[in-house]
Amino acid sequence: MSRSRPGRIASGAGRIRAWLERNAIRLTALVTAGILAVMLYLPVGVVFVEAVVDEGVPTLGHFAAVLTDPFYFGVLADVFADPLAVGTHLGSLAGWLAAVSISLSLEYPIPGIDVPVPWLAVDTPGVRQGLFGFTAYQAALSTLASVALGLPAAYILANYEFYGRRTLRSLTILPFVLPGIMVAVGFYAMFGRAGTLNGILGVAGLGPFAFIETSPLTIVILAHAFYNAPLVARLTVAAWESVDTRTVETARSLGASERRAFRDIVVPQLAPAVLTGALLTFIFTFMTFPIVLALGGLQLATVEVWIYDRIQRLDYAEAATLAILETILSLGLTYAYLRYESVQSGFSQAPSPPPKEALFPDLRTALSPRRLAICGYGLVALVLFVGPMASLVVGSFTDGTGFTLRNYAFLLERQLEGASFQTLPLPAIRNSLLFGVATLAVAVPMGVVISVLTARTGRSGTIIDTLAMLPLAVSGIVFGIGLLQGLVFGISLPGGWRLQITGAVAIVIAHAVAAYPFVTRNVSPLLSNLDPAMVESARALGASRFRALVDVELPLVANGIVAGAAFAFAISIGEFSSTVILASGSESYTMPVAVERYLGRRSGPAIAMGTLLLLVTAASFVVIDRVGGRYEL
Amino acid sequence: MTELRLEGVSKRYGTGRDDGAAALQDVDLTVRDGEFFTLVGPSGCGKTTTLRTIAGFEAPSKGVVSFDGESMIGVAPERRDVGVVFQSYGLFPHMTVAENVGYGLQFREPPDGTGVDERVDELLELVDLEGMGGRNPDQLSGGQQQRVALARALAPEPDLLLLDEPMSALDARLRESLRRQLKRIQSTLEITTVYVTHDQDEALALSDRLAVMNDGEIEQIATPRTIYHEPETRFVAEFVGDNNVFDGTVRARDAERTRVDVAGTTFDLPPGVGFDGSAQEQERERISFCVRPADLSRAVDQNRFAVNLETSEFRGESVRAYGQWNDVPIVLQLGEVLESEKDATVTVGFAPEDAHVLNGG
Repeated sequence: MSRSRPGRIASGAGRIRAWLERNAIRLTALVTAGILAVMLYLPVGVVFVEAVVDEGVPTLGHFAAVLTDPFYFGVLADVFADPLAVGTHLGSLAGWLAAVSISLSLEYPIPGIDVPVPWLAVDTPGVRQGLFGFTAYQAALSTLASVALGLPAAYILANYEFYGRRTLRSLTILPFVLPGIMVAVGFYAMFGRAGTLNGILGVAGLGPFAFIETSPLTIVILAHAFYNAPLVARLTVAAWESVDTRTVETARSLGASERRAFRDIVVPQLAPAVLTGALLTFIFTFMTFPIVLALGGLQLATVEVWIYDRIQRLDYAEAATLAILETILSLGLTYAYLRYESVQSGFSQAPSPPPKEALFPDLRTALSPRRLAICGYGLVALVLFVGPMASLVVGSFTDGTGFTLRNYAFLLERQLEGASFQTLPLPAIRNSLLFGVATLAVAVPMGVVISVLTARTGRSGTIIDTLAMLPLAVSGIVFGIGLLQGLVFGISLPGGWRLQITGAVAIVIAHAVAAYPFVTRNVSPLLSNLDPAMVESARALGASRFRALVDVELPLVANGIVAGAAFAFAISIGEFSSTVILASGSESYTMPVAVERYLGRRSGPAIAMGTLLLLVTAASFVVIDRVGGRYEL
Repeated sequence: MTELRLEGVSKRYGTGRDDGAAALQDVDLTVRDGEFFTLVGPSGCGKTTTLRTIAGFEAPSKGVVSFDGESMIGVAPERRDVGVVFQSYGLFPHMTVAENVGYGLQFREPPDGTGVDERVDELLELVDLEGMGGRNPDQLSGGQQQRVALARALAPEPDLLLLDEPMSALDARLRESLRRQLKRIQSTLEITTVYVTHDQDEALALSDRLAVMNDGEIEQIATPRTIYHEPETRFVAEFVGDNNVFDGTVRARDAERTRVDVAGTTFDLPPGVGFDGSAQEQERERISFCVRPADLSRAVDQNRFAVNLETSEFRGESVRAYGQWNDVPIVLQLGEVLESEKDATVTVGFAPEDAHVLNGG
């Protein structure tokens, strides 16, 4: 009955094991910090140094040059160039406002159809937005479109019961992990000159219309909405379902009408979620890359696309300067998001969630205006969300005239007869799967350790959290240059050593660093919801902190780990921005890179390759779904 | 078994040297070998922090925790040999009842060479859950879960059993039967036990001794009877059971009585109270004393005063009546309240020896 009962600590080996066990969490944390330092902070630091050092001399010249160049900052460049001339700037602002005119006119928005639509035109004298201005402009439009398309979906998913609702709710996560390049190709297949939409219109004797060529910006914004509207919907549905009906019922019993109760009780609880969705959408679309590159090209260049172009032209200093400016902007936004998120993290599942109505209980209700509006929205959603993916598959088997296997034949032929310097389909598929699995192996432990550390430190964990979430704010391109300039080209260390990481290893690490925040975000909430009494009970019973983690916490957050792993895998499969930089000129190309390379001349093979990518992504999700994952963002 | 001792234990939260809120302030206590000791007090009084400090989940900012004279400062919870039962039980939902109970036995061998399965069965029998080993915790009722948590804590034969409000999630009737069971188990095993509760009935019913805590400090440590009949401070008097506290001034003393003036009325208390014979009698003029509701009676003709009744509660064997006398809230325990007495005055009195003088104001 003493505290030194036999069987506690026996041999020297046992002592080492006990020491390892006691310090296991600390050791894993150290390794994680090491990986982050070398693979995340070092590359970003390298980019930063590149931007502020010119031939060994520290300088802010690059920044000054970019900030005062109207090409980048438009009208703001004058302000940056001479910030003190406030009078002049206000004067030109007043002059511009005076020249704005609003006019009502009849327009013919659909080419080829003579249906006039009254159009409120805001006629503004040309403002030079500059590259940054344009990037923000398209991000703002994309955010608006995403919210406009996401809210109806949230309304339907949160308030109506219908066959497949839960599946649909789960599927809202899917666009988020679809490779951008594949979505771009899907939009080509849907809206292109030989696309599905033109095919359908052709049956009605219309078209063909050059949607993409006429208004590439609209298509880019729709593609962004394809990605982000489901995200907005997802966040809003979660908030909606956490509204306690009893609060609404209380408001009604106090005399509020249904509409009034909605406005006073439900809307304030949804607003934070909608705002979070909008903020995230803005961050993501501000850093957009593959979509714009594939659908808009340089004429619609965003900052990210331009950085890529500078790198291709080997102008690293300018690329780095742009990258740092972009990162500062997106870091600010991400910080705002994290701050905001922590403020509203209060709400969880409601004890009595709102009841759901049947969507189409009978024919009479089905014809009510509200149901018809829902049907109308469903049609839009079908064209926008299902269309591109279906077109991708259909387009890979057709060539404008009819069924063909030519696209796949091309891939097969390339695989069998292609030269080694050409992009081959099979290595691309193999690389993607290999990198995906390797990413899992690195990202999952990293993400879990960061979750454990932040869940345990409580409030001070926010700092670790923000530092660890840096990958969300650093775009793939910036990260890619950093890796290229730092680790791939190599860094001289004192003592004649050289730190150099290249090829597949660099790509896997880049993927892991991009993916682990999703593991953390899936695991952390579950971990912090666990009753601390469980861990403490285990410890009082004699388990070390590490044993308590392994025996109690990890099994209970297994769902979150699996979901995080699904994300990590999907992100690795779809990652394009840093892979395209790291894989250039090597044989470590992945499927998205292959799609982009095939996209060059004819779209057919790219569409076929995109279909394969879709299949692999979907298959991995089915596998993980069977294993028992639950997807949350 | 084990004697537990806390000496000058203080705990401050926050980073600053002085601005951190004091959760514990110089807590001294000794729990004797095999004793059932209770920490009782309102929420936020520091009782749970004290328990967590004993278990090793919190490190004291100052002071020493020792088991049998051996300091536990710097010893991790898993090396302290304590069994803990939490308010939320902390059962592992992914393990069966038997796996829960047996969890600690992989770190601490079962006593006397018993096998793990044998020991688990033994414990389940002790808490009347024979044959439940294969169930999952979520298939059990709250009371059963609580007993699984107790069995799990006891399985490795800990030196010390710590219970943190283990019954507060249960309904009143279940609580009473479980507390009899707990008392039986504790006295069979003769295990040193520290029990934390905010429920003074529970504290009085279970404990060999108890400590009443308030604001991070211990107000009084004594047996339940002493705590009930001879509270040392106003806080203890008011926290444990219903009480009537009077603040007055000593008017006169003689061999037979002490005369105390409260709001213009003079009461007779036993001789010598509030006065230890020292010269500074002037400073000891102010005096507080308490009288339990049961000791205020219509039949006593000493120290009589009229109470304005406001409400009454029927309690079965008696009636609790609440009222005021000169702005002093008064609780009475009456055999019956007549309809005519509601919203009326009742005149009661108390015997001088039933008044108990409190320390401090």
